[in-house]
Amino acid sequence: MLKRDQIELINRELDGENSPDASAAYRQLIQKDPEARAFDADLRRIAVLMGRVEERAPPPYLKQQILDALSQPARASPGTAMVRWAVSQLRLVSERMEEAIMTKKAIIIGTTAVAVVAIIGAIVVGYPPGGGEAGTIGGGDSIPGVQQAARYRGRTMTQADVTLENPDIQVLFQNDRILRLVQSELFRELMRDEAFRALQASEAFRQVMASEAYRVIMASEAYRELMASEAYRELAANEAFRELMAEEAFRELQTSQAMRELQANEAYRELMASAAFRQLQANEAFRELQANEAFHQLMANEAYRELMANEAYRNLMANEAFREIMANEAYRQLQAAEAFRAISRSVELSEAFLTQASRVQQ
Amino acid sequence: MYLEETPVATDELDRSLVRRFLGGEREAAAALVDLYQQRLFNLALRMLGNMQDAEDVTQTVFGKVFRKLGTYDPKYRFFSWIYRMTVNESMNALKRRKRTVTLEDQLAIPAPGATADGAAEAEDQVGRALMSLKPDDRAVLVLRHFVSFSYQEIADVLEIPVRTVKSRLFEARERLRHTLRAQGS
Repeated sequence: MLKRDQIELINRELDGENSPDASAAYRQLIQKDPEARAFDADLRRIAVLMGRVEERAPPPYLKQQILDALSQPARASPGTAMVRWAVSQLRLVSERMEEAIMTKKAIIIGTTAVAVVAIIGAIVVGYPPGGGEAGTIGGGDSIPGVQQAARYRGRTMTQADVTLENPDIQVLFQNDRILRLVQSELFRELMRDEAFRALQASEAFRQVMASEAYRVIMASEAYRELMASEAYRELAANEAFRELMAEEAFRELQTSQAMRELQANEAYRELMASAAFRQLQANEAFRELQANEAFHQLMANEAYRELMANEAYRNLMANEAFREIMANEAYRQLQAAEAFRAISRSVELSEAFLTQASRVQQ
Repeated sequence: MYLEETPVATDELDRSLVRRFLGGEREAAAALVDLYQQRLFNLALRMLGNMQDAEDVTQTVFGKVFRKLGTYDPKYRFFSWIYRMTVNESMNALKRRKRTVTLEDQLAIPAPGATADGAAEAEDQVGRALMSLKPDDRAVLVLRHFVSFSYQEIADVLEIPVRTVKSRLFEARERLRHTLRAQGS
């Protein structure tokens, strides 16, 4: 059995990294030890085999693609209303592009890109509205007991309400998954996030949650599958996607020139070429969702568009913890409770809630 | 090992091209692509075992390089920087496809055209064996055997100590040896 230093000596010799003295020691070892000789021969055989592998030439168009991407003008500053625009165009894009864009391929790519932007937005904001009357979040059957949430309507919730004795809070903490979630560090981080509180206070957010289209989408199997897919998570976290949001060309996609510019745009191409995007395109749930009427209704919903242009929403979208929590089923259940929404809009109530949560044994 | 038309990269040439690019010379970008695209493409190809993915990674890396060239610190070697990006992008690509693709799917390198004797067979055997290794192991082997980097250069690219490069390389070789033997190579 070769010793570690002997193995290292042989490897270093193969790599040409031995000193003259070490090389002499290597030669001596090989000469007297058959096992070392066999090992050395094996490594050399492998090196020869690897040396036989010939270098491949990259595709001839690659250089031009790289340089084309480079030739695009500098990006507009972030924080534009691209998402709002993209969503608003979802239903128009085929008609407009049919006239404006020269190739069929461009139409497909353009439509898909806009749909992707929109769907990712839906996912990042994604949790069920609970259904029923406008604003009666949790009025459905997603969590037993949250119907009482309406008791906070018309009066301000106070810290005195945020106790373990409060039945609305009790019912939340009785749900193991919710309890684990609210006791997690990620969730605490989210609840202390100002952008999150702003979003919770958004009227557009409330309206979206109350919309029938949203409820249908959230309840659909396709949507659930999509949310669980790695491709979606990858895409939502994709740097190219976020960069694309800042693109002037994306906002002006209705002209053919803008579309051509967009297609030559590095971030856009990066996104289109990403493995996540390709997986997404092959995803059955994605295709199903694209054909879903409720989804189209949601995309055309003014409150939803407003939400997607919301600064707080965009900030949260860049937050890793937020994205992780959004994919959590318990979080979607929690969001269905009006009590929680009321609490999460206030710094003090949020802190009180987290304190109460930490007192509960799992 | 490199094809004849690939220009030879040197630190001085790199620095000069970077300076020219930052000075607004578009031709410098084309020269940098000429200099590195084949090397990066092949590094990515050996890391990923897939032509299309290697192409994507190469394009992504150049995009990032040109975007971030303003922040590049010339006291470090340019090639270490650009190779590091390629390794990292390749690792990211591997993570993305991890749960969805089998080994058979991963290895998607069409047979080369006219090659030296045994080259296609070697590529197939080595490609399969490499793809069976952990990406970290694969990275050191590829940088050593396909890019011909020294221990120190590998350490610079991977940002790990030289002693870690050595231990990882030797262990990776051992695993490769066993894998190839199991394949009957």
